[in-house]
Amino acid sequence: MKKRHIKEFVKDKRVMLLIILIMVSIASISVLGIQQGLDLKGGSLIQLKLEEPVDTETMNIVTNVLDKRLNLFGVQDVKVRPGGDQNVIIEMAGVSPEEVERLIGSPGKFEARIGNETAPVALTGADIQSVSMYEITDTQWMVPFQVTPSGAQKFAEMAKGLGGEKVYMFLDGNLIDKNPPQLSEELATGKPAVELSITGGGANVEEAQEQANQVYTVLKTGSLPVQISITGASTVSPELGDQFLNGAVIAGLLAILVITGMIFIRYRKAILALPIVITCVSEVVIVMGIASIIQWNIDLAAIAGLIASVGTGVDDQIIITDEVLVKQVSGEKNKKRRLTRVRMSVKNALFIILASAGTLIAAMLPLAYVGFARGASGIGTLAGFAFTTIIGVLVGVLITRPAYAKFVEVFLK
Amino acid sequence: MLELMLEKLMKHYKLFIMIPLIITGLSGLFIAFNGIDEGIDLKGGSIASLKLKEPINSSDLENLLKASFDSQGVIVNEIDVVSNRGTDVTVQIGTDLNSTVFENAIRNKGTIASYNSIGPVLSEEAMGQIYWAIGFAFLFMSIAVFIIFREPVPSFGVILGAFCDMVIALGGMSLFNIPLTIASIGGLLMLIAYSVDTDLLLTTRLLRRKEGTIISRAQDAMKTGLTMSLTAIAAMLVLYIVTIFLIPEASTLSNIAGVLTIGLIADIPKTWLMNLGILRWYMEWKK
Repeated sequence: MKKRHIKEFVKDKRVMLLIILIMVSIASISVLGIQQGLDLKGGSLIQLKLEEPVDTETMNIVTNVLDKRLNLFGVQDVKVRPGGDQNVIIEMAGVSPEEVERLIGSPGKFEARIGNETAPVALTGADIQSVSMYEITDTQWMVPFQVTPSGAQKFAEMAKGLGGEKVYMFLDGNLIDKNPPQLSEELATGKPAVELSITGGGANVEEAQEQANQVYTVLKTGSLPVQISITGASTVSPELGDQFLNGAVIAGLLAILVITGMIFIRYRKAILALPIVITCVSEVVIVMGIASIIQWNIDLAAIAGLIASVGTGVDDQIIITDEVLVKQVSGEKNKKRRLTRVRMSVKNALFIILASAGTLIAAMLPLAYVGFARGASGIGTLAGFAFTTIIGVLVGVLITRPAYAKFVEVFLK
Repeated sequence: MLELMLEKLMKHYKLFIMIPLIITGLSGLFIAFNGIDEGIDLKGGSIASLKLKEPINSSDLENLLKASFDSQGVIVNEIDVVSNRGTDVTVQIGTDLNSTVFENAIRNKGTIASYNSIGPVLSEEAMGQIYWAIGFAFLFMSIAVFIIFREPVPSFGVILGAFCDMVIALGGMSLFNIPLTIASIGGLLMLIAYSVDTDLLLTTRLLRRKEGTIISRAQDAMKTGLTMSLTAIAAMLVLYIVTIFLIPEASTLSNIAGVLTIGLIADIPKTWLMNLGILRWYMEWKK
């Protein structure tokens, strides 16, 4: 390896581009960091399906209500995302308790009827203007709320003369309290009152707290426009996530090591094995850099995609190397003609490489499409795999491969 | 040695074309009889990996869970301890169960490290998407291959090759009990790409390169192609082994790596017996 060669190599614009991109990637990774997927950092993912496909506006209401409910309920670090027009995906740190799932699944339709369970509706969720913090005394709880003037008017008319009758209150068609409270005399005078409350009792303090919190949260955040059901849930503990990350890194490093070993056995030249490894590593760094800039989640599927795309990258480098080596054997003494030949063979190799990159992207597109259109539900969980593979292949074809070709051109001639 | 082998291959190419086709046929039959396990993401259900305080043998754990589910009023039709390695246990359940119910059941015995439950709606949807994704991946790949070669016979050979690789890989999954999951479908799609890779190399070298005899061109291509395949197999095998021993819960990785390892091994005879044979046939016929 002559100094002149190194200079020629580094000054090439393809090589410069590679070096610059590696530096940008490292900077971006160290400043912005890499967002880890739920399976690596630990957390829960809940998948919901709406009863029917909805328009964007309704979807916004749904995600907003869910987001508000979870925040009010005290669940930390929640992300509510729509997945297409019929799915919603909720990500949160930690494990999802049963109450959270109940909270998400309930449409939150509130109704009150006076006298008996089938009496006309005296008050609905739409009449509620604001909700105050719940109060708990022993196992009894109370959620005070304020109704709109028209709601108060309607309620007063329905309640007139019914003092002492039971008030049946329903949430999503279920009786909130099995022992309904009685309508107080002062509300039965026919004069509208704005301040009302829902009361109930639990078997113990915890249950009372739980019930009060649920009613409070649901009333406060309004009702969901469509029925929602939970279709799937997954949880990974942070400890296991750490194990996954470590395991994946070890597997990746070992894979690169084995690839290097195989290349060395085949060519018996460090000058070939080393650049191939460097190319692999720089590909990983640049893909990670891109992921950190566009805030793309790196999860297990993405790591698999990364390893797979590095694998095809190595294939490409083997093709380039062999194309050039084969021509060298034919032995051309004239230096200039030899360089043209090397260039010709690199061009041949690049044809195969572009063609195989094209087919790989073609095969991955449907998967990536599902991921983007439907979100991370069903086969969309593999979107990370497809997307990372496509990015990896593009980085390979556009950036690292040309640089490697230049390397071969300069050092093998 | 390689040269001698290739000479023989070129002489009896029609016979050699049959070998991968027969393997493909046998794989198909094997799948039909043995079936392929479906992961819970395709058939619905729950899977939990547990960290136990102390080892419990599998049937005891199954009984314990069943008793607890019964007492919580939950009907579960199938409880199955998938792996039991001391304190790390994986349990699969036939119904999609709330993780809280499961947590209650093992409260004093250990903790849940990961939990995944998939309802029937989601699993049916995923199954539908899979046919869709594989169908379109195949279609797009075929279009790309036709655009690249613009000759029907070699293109058809490449596409047939990808199909064979996929069927053989599915046969291998059936044989080694690798379940069909969303992740292993990812492996199969990736396999399409790897399969086309070696064929592209062979076809380009044989049809586009002018110097040398067919045998010497095929020999060069084979040297390159085998290096490619062996490196990829080695990398995937390492990934598979590391995952199985270090992080068995990370089935996404082991599924993808396992499928690719089998498929890449199948790709070797497929490329160098069948596709080489088809190309040789085609070149003869074109003359």
